[in-house]
Amino acid sequence: MTAALRLDGVSFSYGAVQVLADVSLALAPGERVALLGRNGAGKSTLVRLVTGLARPAAGTVWVGDWDTRDHSPDVLARRVGSVFQHADQQLFARTLEDDVAFGPRALGFERSDVAGRVARALDALELGAQAREHPYDLPPALRKLAALAGALALEPALLVLDEPTAGLDRALRARVTRALLERAGRAGAGGGGAALLVITHDLTFAAELLDRALVLDRGRLACDESLAGLLGAAARLETLGLLRPPVAELSTALDLPGRPIRAADAARVLARVAGGRADP
Amino acid sequence: MTRLTLERVTFRYPATEAPALEDVSLEVRGGEVVALVGSVGAGASTLLLVAGDLAPRVVGGRLEGRVSFDGEGPRAIVLPAPWTQLSGMAFTVWDEVAFGPANLGLPRDEISRQVDQAVARLDLEALTSRDPTTLSGGELQRVIVAGILAMRPALLLLDEPTAELDPVGARTLWKLVRTLAGEGTAIVMATSELDALPAITDRVVWLERGRVAATGPAALLASDALVVANMGTTVAAVWRAAGLPPPYPLTVAHAAQRWERR
Repeated sequence: MTAALRLDGVSFSYGAVQVLADVSLALAPGERVALLGRNGAGKSTLVRLVTGLARPAAGTVWVGDWDTRDHSPDVLARRVGSVFQHADQQLFARTLEDDVAFGPRALGFERSDVAGRVARALDALELGAQAREHPYDLPPALRKLAALAGALALEPALLVLDEPTAGLDRALRARVTRALLERAGRAGAGGGGAALLVITHDLTFAAELLDRALVLDRGRLACDESLAGLLGAAARLETLGLLRPPVAELSTALDLPGRPIRAADAARVLARVAGGRADP
Repeated sequence: MTRLTLERVTFRYPATEAPALEDVSLEVRGGEVVALVGSVGAGASTLLLVAGDLAPRVVGGRLEGRVSFDGEGPRAIVLPAPWTQLSGMAFTVWDEVAFGPANLGLPRDEISRQVDQAVARLDLEALTSRDPTTLSGGELQRVIVAGILAMRPALLLLDEPTAELDPVGARTLWKLVRTLAGEGTAIVMATSELDALPAITDRVVWLERGRVAATGPAALLASDALVVANMGTTVAAVWRAAGLPPPYPLTVAHAAQRWERR
C-alpha cells in the first residue's frame, strides 16, 4: 500500500540556518501521528515542505505517489489539507460556508459535491449554526475551527495540522478531537481514512487523538514510537523539551493498570480499581 | 497596595449591543497572580484589554464603571498572537527587546541592564542577534514577553502566554510568573492551561458570558461547578468521571495523597 506521506532523507535550510537534516518517515493511510519537539525544532518547516510551500534542499517528499517537487501547492491540495499555526490568515470570504467552500470549489468539484463537503465539514466541527456568519465576527477560537473546516472540506488523504488547539478551550479541543477521529476512521474513496500529522505542544490533546509520536530535535528525527510509550518515559521526554501530561502522570502516580494516557480510559480504570462507577 | 481596580465595569465593543463584560469588579494587588478562566468568548481577553487601557482607548467601544491603576512602573500586556506585537523596527532580537524600554526614555545603560536580564529570564541568549522575523512561533512569543518585562511593568497582563511554547518553555514561563509576583509585580492572565494554575495562581476568576461566575483560590478548579463546566483541572475531571465522590483532588500530588490514605 502506498504511504499517505513519505519523507526520504529530507533536509532544508533557511539561508545558513539548517532546519531539517536527513529526515525520513512514512505515514500509512488512516494513521494518527503527533509531530512533537521544542520550539524551533523544525516542525512548521516540515509542514511547509509537505504542503509544497517549500522544497527540500535534499531528499524527497512524497504525498501518496506524488513527488511534491512535481506539483504546485494548489494541486497538492487535492491530497493534503492543512491548517497553519496562525489560521486567521487562511480566512477571507464573507461567510463561513463560503470560506469553507473555497478549497473544494478551487479544486473544481461539482457544485452539489462542494455543498456536501462543506456540510460534512461544518457538521463535523459543529459549526452549522455559524455557517452564514462573517468569519471575522467569530471569536478567534472559532476562526481556528473554521480554518480546520476548510481543510476537512477537501476530504484529503492527508491532513497536516499545525497547533490546531492553541487558544481553544477544553470543550472546543474535544470537538476537534471528535472531528479528526471521525475523519481518520472513515473509509474514504481511497480505502482508508485520512492520515493525520498533527504538530502540537498540547500533549493532553495529543494523547486523546493520536497513537504514534515523531519527535524532532534540532532538525533531526529523534524518536518514532508509540505515543503511550513515549509519555511513559518521563526523563527522556524532558530531554526533548516535553513534559508528561496530567493523565499520564496520574496513571503513573497511582500505578493504574495499563498506564492509560486518555482521560476516559484513566477514569474507567480508576473506577474499577477504586470500586466506583464510571460515567458512561 | 492595590494596583488595579475594576468597579462594576461593563464594556461593549463598537457596533455591538451585547456587553462583552458585564458588571465586573476586580481588585489586584502588587505581588498577586490572578488567573481568568472561562470558555471561548467569556470575556477574559476583553477584561485584559480593559485592564491594560486598550479598551476602549484603542479598540473603541463603550465602558461603564471605573477602571483605575496605580504603580511605579507601566502596565503592559502580552497579546495572544505574538507576531502582531512585533515592533517591526528591530533587526535583531536584542533590539526588539530594547524597543519598549527605549520608548520609555530610560537611560542607555539602564536599557542594557533590563534587556540583558529579560533575555536571560526567557532563555533567549542564543537568539539575541537573530532577525525576529525568522523566529519560530514559540521563540517569538518568548521575545515578546522579554520585551514587555524589559519595561519593568508594575501590572503585567498575559493573554494565553504559553499558546506557542513547548511544554518545557511553558513551565519556564509559569515559574517566571511566580518570580515576578515575588518581586511585587501584579499579574493578571487569561489561560486555557488550567493544569498549570494550581502551582502559580493566588486567585481564579471564572468568567461566563462576560460576568464573574465565581472567584476563589486555585482549589476552585477542583469544585464540582467548574469541573462540570469543563473548567476544572484534568485530575479533578478524571476523578469525577470515575464516579468518585467530591471533593476532587486538584493535582496529581493531591490524588496520590488521597490514594495512599485509601
